[in-house]
Amino acid sequence: MKNQREECGRPIFNGDLCAQRMTKTMISMSKIVKKFGSQTVLSEVSFEAKQGEIFGLLGRSGAGKTTIINILTNQLKPDGGSHKIGVTSYETGLMLDEDGLYDRLSCLDNLQVFATIYGISDKNSKDALDKVGLGESANKAVSHLSKGMRQRLALARAILHNPKVLFLDEPTSGLDPNTAQGIHQLIQGLQKQGATIFLTTHNMDEAVKLCDHVLLLHKGKIVEQGVPTEICERHDAVKTVPDLEKVFIKMTGEGLS
Amino acid sequence: MRSVQAIFVKQAKDMTKNFAVLSMFVIFPLVAFAMTHFVARGNYDISDTMFTTMMASVFAGMALIQVACSVIAEDREKKSIRFLIIAGVKPLAYLMGIGGVILIASLISSLAFAYIGGFAQDEFIAFMLVMMSGAIASVILGATIGIYAKNRQAASGLSMPFAVVLGFAPLVAQFNERVESFVGFIYTQQINVVVNDFSAGLAQPLTVIWLNIAVLAVLFVIAYVKKGLGG
Repeated sequence: MKNQREECGRPIFNGDLCAQRMTKTMISMSKIVKKFGSQTVLSEVSFEAKQGEIFGLLGRSGAGKTTIINILTNQLKPDGGSHKIGVTSYETGLMLDEDGLYDRLSCLDNLQVFATIYGISDKNSKDALDKVGLGESANKAVSHLSKGMRQRLALARAILHNPKVLFLDEPTSGLDPNTAQGIHQLIQGLQKQGATIFLTTHNMDEAVKLCDHVLLLHKGKIVEQGVPTEICERHDAVKTVPDLEKVFIKMTGEGLS
Repeated sequence: MRSVQAIFVKQAKDMTKNFAVLSMFVIFPLVAFAMTHFVARGNYDISDTMFTTMMASVFAGMALIQVACSVIAEDREKKSIRFLIIAGVKPLAYLMGIGGVILIASLISSLAFAYIGGFAQDEFIAFMLVMMSGAIASVILGATIGIYAKNRQAASGLSMPFAVVLGFAPLVAQFNERVESFVGFIYTQQINVVVNDFSAGLAQPLTVIWLNIAVLAVLFVIAYVKKGLGG
């Protein structure tokens, strides 16, 4: 189980900065409703993500996960309810399923576009590339990168300006285990630096490994939420390790329907 | 200002690596050069500037609309614009950055046309004025179409009718007086009018071109309010 003691790497006592960090609400949604035509995609969704927390949003394809990210990042307007992020849009980073990279430009050029927008030095771009292990591919055109490298570059762009809130939409989807592990380590490293991370994933092991708090979304409604291990205990899904996948299938149905 | 600079530099670097877009700025002056030197020179029935006039009008109408439209449609299709907007780039800054690069590239192509046409100093100034005014009109129209296009393929289909009408109307007008009187309100025809007879003055053609720009700017604002840039 992942707890505050592990992530801070030291015992927790009263007034501990790490513990304090986890008490301030950084992202909140209250009774959010979103419809596309006659179809209700989100139905009165409410939750809070605390500062310094890795908050996992789980759900089947079409459950409404990306819609929540789009609403939180002001790309979509909800039809009802309210939402709030405790930082400015400048202090947020974003990695979506569609990376939006400029294929003909090099990795470094892609980051320098955003470094100029944020008013930070070009050194930050090189540092961000080093962090995601793309330092040696800095001058390579994005069109020549593998999927894993593209995802790492998209992550480098998201963390370029050291955001306080980071939205990651399925950051390890379709990646080999080694690359996925590298991205996990990066995410945990960012959390240690104080970032609040809002993560969507289909990977239950990833959710158990990374998330302090998860929310299970099914057909636009919250069907379960809490600390991953506690959820597993509630649903009698603890084998040798907490089996969040079992809970997920139980709550969202089996098969391809 | 930082945003405009970032988009401008990005677009300038991108355009040098985008053969399809780059060729638009090269091919029309090249055709004008070839036709002027190999067809018009020595042929007393054809004026030395005929092909320059023809290609410059087609370039201003056809090429620039397609370039502006395809650049914006590509950024929308790949969702690149979303990341820029979330990073705080205002739509106007984005359009200024993209439009700035296209206008500078148009300026270079227009200089090439002017060189091929062998215009005298006054003619050169008039030519550059109408060409750059026409380029602004085309970039705004291309951006408007780009907002409506979901992807580059759609952009190509949507922009083609506009590009054909604006690019070829002045050509047809040269051979048909009825068409000439009918297309007088189109900015590419006014470029044609100026370049065909520099002595006729600039005031009326420039007024018509800038009226076109004003109408297109209104259409752009309507499209932007209805559809937005983000896609």
